[in-house]
Amino acid sequence: MKMRFVLAAFFVAGAMSLAMASSAGTGGSKDAPKDTAAAAAAPAGQADNLAAQKENMHLEGERRFRSNCARCHAAPPKFPPRMMATIVRHMRVRAAITDQDMRLILRYMTE
Amino acid sequence: MMCRFVCWPRIVAKAGLLGLFFVFSLAGQAQDDGFKAVPILTGSTAYFTRVTAGQYQDAPSVSPLLLLPLGDKWLIEAKGSYSDTFTKNAQGDYNGTISYGMTYGQIDYIANRYMTLVAGRFTTPFNIYGERLAPNWVRALQTSPLTSPVTSGSALGGMVRGGFPTTDSLNLTYALYFSSNNTHHLLATDRSTGGRIGFFLPHQRLEIGASFQQVLQADRPHSSGIFFEWQSDHAPVTVRSEYARSSGTKGSGYWIESVYRLSQISALRRLELVGRGEQFFVASNLSAATIKKLGALGKDTNEADFGMNYYLRSDVRASASYGRQFVLGKNANLWTIGMTYRFVMPMLPQGGAR
Repeated sequence: MKMRFVLAAFFVAGAMSLAMASSAGTGGSKDAPKDTAAAAAAPAGQADNLAAQKENMHLEGERRFRSNCARCHAAPPKFPPRMMATIVRHMRVRAAITDQDMRLILRYMTE
Repeated sequence: MMCRFVCWPRIVAKAGLLGLFFVFSLAGQAQDDGFKAVPILTGSTAYFTRVTAGQYQDAPSVSPLLLLPLGDKWLIEAKGSYSDTFTKNAQGDYNGTISYGMTYGQIDYIANRYMTLVAGRFTTPFNIYGERLAPNWVRALQTSPLTSPVTSGSALGGMVRGGFPTTDSLNLTYALYFSSNNTHHLLATDRSTGGRIGFFLPHQRLEIGASFQQVLQADRPHSSGIFFEWQSDHAPVTVRSEYARSSGTKGSGYWIESVYRLSQISALRRLELVGRGEQFFVASNLSAATIKKLGALGKDTNEADFGMNYYLRSDVRASASYGRQFVLGKNANLWTIGMTYRFVMPMLPQGGAR
């Protein structure tokens, strides 16, 4: 019985501390893709900058794909976006891929 | 005085409810990937011929996986397995043995960007082989490592897991679980708890980590393990390894595997070469009856395997391997040859629509 209580307390403490860590980390929203905000702020004449930024996002997505996915299996073909969203969500859970990596990989795999 | 001991389970329960409420209140920060995910059926089929110490086996198998997303935060995963193993007997006839089961059936809730809650039957998060490398279309060699009985298994209960960047150059991954006892003949699980922690350096493409498991029934054995996986940025080579040790009857051992994709040679770019070496050390306190029951795992064993995989397409792979198993008084050759096919299909006709 004592072991059960210790384990329950262990899980509760873990969940609480992780939840607090997450709420503390959301203020800066550093994990959000930066191109959306940049696109809103950019004047219409800065199309070149947007194109360069898009290219950077593509390269970053490819890098995240190679470091996360290609470690274990060969690159799959690019599926339709809605299927890819399901696959990436599955792999996020299975391979503990970070939220930021998941978004960049999904973007890369659906371009 | 008594109340301090009697009441504190209630306090823990209340704290647990409060913690869960806190976690769920952060759900607004969960996944929003911009695409409405659709249910899909994926998985793999395989046909392999194995020759183990002169014993022929043919084994067709299928492992379907249903992925059912609900909204932006939920995912139901159900994976089954079915195989029919035909073994050649002394008269030259083949006898078939059917085996089937549910690998996992779980519901995932992405609570926030750092945490996913899992409930149901799931693969035990111990090292990396069981969770990531076991599917036959993923594994580089079709023969399982000798430490598989230590590192692989299923659990029935709940799990907290996730991964998040601590700095630009380090991601932390974690998993904590609790499993209840289940005696169903197809879905048997032990009452146990444990977890895994991993440190992933994305720039170096290096992950190292450790695992722990404590069984909370019978002899209450515990297991511990460490692992690493590294992929070169300059050459298409991957090196991975696991070490696992059990305090019970499962012994201890390690394996190290290297995979080299010949993508730098255009004519051979679809070919992958694999090598693996491993050692297994049987538990020292086993009785003669237990050793007999454990069979191949009842003796210290060394094994070396070499193989190749040829990707006809990204989802169709032909594989062959040769291994030599060194066991006191009973060395053996291990041959495998066969094919795997990984399938993915939407469960709705509008699966391809945005």
